[in-house]
Amino acid sequence: MDPASTLPTLLMWAWLVPLISFVFILFFGKYLGPHGKGAGYVATLAIVTSGILSFTALFGVWLPNHELPAASGHQEEHAEEVDHHVHSRHVRSESLFQPAALFDEKDPLELEQRGEEAAHGAAESHANNPSPKYYTHDWYDFATFGKLRLTIGCYIDSLTVVMFCMVSLIASCVHFYAMGYMHDELHDFTDPEVTLSNGEHLKRPGRYHRFFQYLSLFCFSMFGVVIAGNLAMVFVFWELVGICSYFLIGFYIERKSASTAANKAFIVNRVGDFGMLIGLMALWSSLGTLSFGDTQDAQGNVARQGIFSQLRTEANDYHLKPTEGMVAEGQRIAPAVPSTVEAGVDSENHAGQWLLLVAGIGIFCGCVGKSAQFPLHVWLPDAMEGPTPVSALVHSATMVAAGVYLVGRFFPAFSPEALLVIAYIGCITLVIAATIAITATDIKRVLAYSTVSQLGYMMLALGLGGWVAGMFHLITHAFFKSLLFLCSGSVIHGVHTNDMTEMGGLRKKMPVTAYTMLVGCLAIIGAGIPIIGPGFSGYYSKDAIIEQAFSFGSNNPQHVVLQWAPVGGALITAFYMFRLWYMTFAGKPRNQDRYDHAHESPRIMTAPLVLLAVFALGVGWAVPGSNLKVTSLLEQSRPVGTLSTSHGELLPSLVIPNEHDSHSPEFKVPAGWAAFGTAGAGLLLATIIYLWGGLNPTELRQRFKLLHSWLWNKWWFDEIYGAVFIAPCMLVAKWISKFDLGIIDPIIHGTAAACKGGSKVVDAVFDRTLVDGTANGLARGTWDLGLWLRKIQTGNLRQYIMLIVISTVVLFAAASYLPLIISFQ
Amino acid sequence: MDAIYWPSVFFLLFGGTACTFAVAVLVSKNIVRMAFYLILSLAATAGLFFLAGADFVGAMQLMIYVGGTLVLLVFGVMLTSQERFVEMKSDAGDWVIGFLAGGALLATLIWAAVSIPAWQGMSRAEAEALTVEKTATPLGMSLVGFRVDNPKESGYLFPFEIVSVHLLVVLVGAAYLARAKRKITKVALASEPSSAGTDQN
Amino acid sequence: MIHLPLASLLTEPVGAMHYVVVGAILFTCGVLCMATKRNALGVLMGIELVLNGANMNFIAFGSRYLRGDANSMGLDGQLIALFVIVLAAAEAAVALAIVLNFYNNHNSIDVDRADQLQG
Repeated sequence: MDPASTLPTLLMWAWLVPLISFVFILFFGKYLGPHGKGAGYVATLAIVTSGILSFTALFGVWLPNHELPAASGHQEEHAEEVDHHVHSRHVRSESLFQPAALFDEKDPLELEQRGEEAAHGAAESHANNPSPKYYTHDWYDFATFGKLRLTIGCYIDSLTVVMFCMVSLIASCVHFYAMGYMHDELHDFTDPEVTLSNGEHLKRPGRYHRFFQYLSLFCFSMFGVVIAGNLAMVFVFWELVGICSYFLIGFYIERKSASTAANKAFIVNRVGDFGMLIGLMALWSSLGTLSFGDTQDAQGNVARQGIFSQLRTEANDYHLKPTEGMVAEGQRIAPAVPSTVEAGVDSENHAGQWLLLVAGIGIFCGCVGKSAQFPLHVWLPDAMEGPTPVSALVHSATMVAAGVYLVGRFFPAFSPEALLVIAYIGCITLVIAATIAITATDIKRVLAYSTVSQLGYMMLALGLGGWVAGMFHLITHAFFKSLLFLCSGSVIHGVHTNDMTEMGGLRKKMPVTAYTMLVGCLAIIGAGIPIIGPGFSGYYSKDAIIEQAFSFGSNNPQHVVLQWAPVGGALITAFYMFRLWYMTFAGKPRNQDRYDHAHESPRIMTAPLVLLAVFALGVGWAVPGSNLKVTSLLEQSRPVGTLSTSHGELLPSLVIPNEHDSHSPEFKVPAGWAAFGTAGAGLLLATIIYLWGGLNPTELRQRFKLLHSWLWNKWWFDEIYGAVFIAPCMLVAKWISKFDLGIIDPIIHGTAAACKGGSKVVDAVFDRTLVDGTANGLARGTWDLGLWLRKIQTGNLRQYIMLIVISTVVLFAAASYLPLIISFQ
Repeated sequence: MDAIYWPSVFFLLFGGTACTFAVAVLVSKNIVRMAFYLILSLAATAGLFFLAGADFVGAMQLMIYVGGTLVLLVFGVMLTSQERFVEMKSDAGDWVIGFLAGGALLATLIWAAVSIPAWQGMSRAEAEALTVEKTATPLGMSLVGFRVDNPKESGYLFPFEIVSVHLLVVLVGAAYLARAKRKITKVALASEPSSAGTDQN
Repeated sequence: MIHLPLASLLTEPVGAMHYVVVGAILFTCGVLCMATKRNALGVLMGIELVLNGANMNFIAFGSRYLRGDANSMGLDGQLIALFVIVLAAAEAAVALAIVLNFYNNHNSIDVDRADQLQG
């Protein structure tokens, strides 16, 4: 099986099957059983099929054709390189990083030389990695504008395959869960949150099939983002994912809160997309392409270069080196600054670097919007208005992860300065969100802020140069966050309230939910034996992030806050997560009525919980009996040129350390202890307050009233945005409306009235008087003339004769005298 | 004073008679007297015709006109002269307008007649040199198509024939117009209230 | 003074002019009769006078004795006058028939009664 043809085909079908399901449910959903019950089966079948196809792609096509890197840790690899640089590089080049079809077989001698050079250099900066193995295929040429070709095509490397598997697995679990959770929509539904004007609650028919229709469309869109081979396609599916999120958040459309939240989500995303468009424009105008990877022609040679190969050329050892103005040789319209500038060397004023920075930050803006980073994080907590399966799938595991995924995908084109910006944004986000989660009482809100915070972690990790750490955290977070959300949905389903202050002691009534949620909580805080031992999935990813942070901090003392923020965040995370767990499942029930009515969810809902709990526990471990780990898979698609340390051009003091250095003991040990210590401290604090009752939370709230109010009101972000952006907008709108109503409308009405008046005048003067008068006058005149002429007809014979006589006389006289008169003239 | 030219004297006699009695017809109120005056006037006209050399026409005038047409007129007068119709007066205003218009006409005609020199009479010498010729035969010949005085021209055959037919038509028409109407019964009267024909015979 | 024109009338031959004058007088009388008489038969008499006036003209111009050989119409004048006489007779017959019908219908010979064509 040639992976170059089978992988695109398999993943294409995995991508399109949910679309088929969507179209099918769109047209026939109503008829599939009462209120469309069959739609659920269709959608679930579709996503499970996608899952099967994805896993086939992973296990059946990818793994047999691409050897994983050595099972030993990165340190050993590193040691190997230094000692056996020739040998290992040779081995490595053949098996892993040297796609046979894509690049010519390297001369081993060259490699040796380079390896030697590298070995002689600083221990940190070993030779860079070329592009990872990837497959591109263009399915459809959308449009061609000059040099820009917009295509629907794929870019498949191991990251793509892993993402497909993760998304389809979680989506399948959520589909099964939703079949149980949304059973309310199978009959006419009375919405308790919508009050009509007559005081009653709204009664409406169920919309079961709609929900699965949107879920299918969402899965299709998400897969589209993952598989996209160029930024234009990413943008298209970006928007599609956004609109699916809009539909799903606003599923209970009659609730004002839900529709407002949907609007907010879409609009805030749009703000981010504005920046993304700027980035797209910068890239296109300078590089002339939006594709990630190179396209090959029939012979296997490179026909068109993608973004990465233009920015990280082999000649530069795959370091990020934009050319003059970032425009490649042969693409420029105007001639470059002559002779002093060589090809591949940037000019004095770093124009290329700045443009690259603009492009990078532009693309990142889109990610800020999509992944709810500061300052566009305000939509995600409100998005909890949607049903819980939506929160689990869209707003924890997949859509919000699309932003992180794009940062990861676009990683080679981010300059170190852009990465710094990303890191800071991530850092700020993680701190803000974590603090707000401390005070929230709505169970889904806590989880929403937790999601925002963890996304901040991922962005931070990526910004610090920890690509594998960030992407691995993406994957582990997907599993445990969706698990947490589904558990919270199960709780809500049992207790019929979101408010944690009405819960308590529920673990006796809902044991499966409680203990799977416990697994999720432990995963998110990164529980595990420090430094050496096994741990939950979050342990591995979080520790990797903190290691990278420590490595970065040691290289960049001026950015030390970036080193300690994740550590502090870990403490807060542990605190609020276990606060949530204790408040919900432990202690005495706060609302006896609700406690009595609580019940465990049906098996269709708890089975996905168990499955996800297994993954949340073990996705960091290797598959028993092989060296197949997620991290190894991710390592296979390490972006080009990220293996070595990079230095900033615009900020020369900035050092982005390479990832493998972070696994050295000088960073691993302190990071491990820091992570473990803070997580433990947070857990202890939560236990003291909420389980053992050592400190009264009410008293704490009273004492720290101001702080509590600040956090309870979400740092007043919504109010600030309302005052700064929305109020002026509404004011301008009001002015314009006033202008429209007060000036334009009167003008138009006045014109109309004038026209009417004018027409009345014309009618009276012209039509009636002149035209009618003329016509009537003519008629009357003719009548009168007739009447007058009638008088001649007297019937009197003698008169007739007399008239004849007189006429004759006159005629005669005229005939006689006229010639005389004329001749006398 | 020259010798009296007797044709002129006769002319004056006949002409005066004709004119006088024509005026009398005009002025008279009595219909019967009007008829008589007319007869006299037209007889005088016949005399004038004789004087002008149109002997046949004059004779015809006397025979047809006076003896036929006017007699017919007299019959008509006799038929219709009820007591109240014998004398009918016209409005005075009509007389004035009539005299004005008639006067104007007369003045115009007379002025026209007098002012043409070619219509003045011949000299006495020429007139006495003329011979009298009978006109009956030439008239008769030209009526059947042969012009004696000017053989190149065609005769009056065609008008002769037309007039013959015309007379026939007139006879038929007059006979029809003057036919005896049917007696009208009471029933017919009731159903046709606006019947034009009534039996007055 | 008055003598002289009249004297010439007696001594000189009469020309067409004189006949035309007579004819004019007859014509005028006839016209006035037609115009002023209320009796329908009076109107008919007027018609006869008019026709005779016209005849007079024709005879005058057709007479070689009044106009001389070269100038006169010759026989044409007399023929036309003949035809006029015939036609006058025909017309008088029809007219009388009409008048009698009128008299029978309206029981009146007054032409002023024949005003049904009044507009």
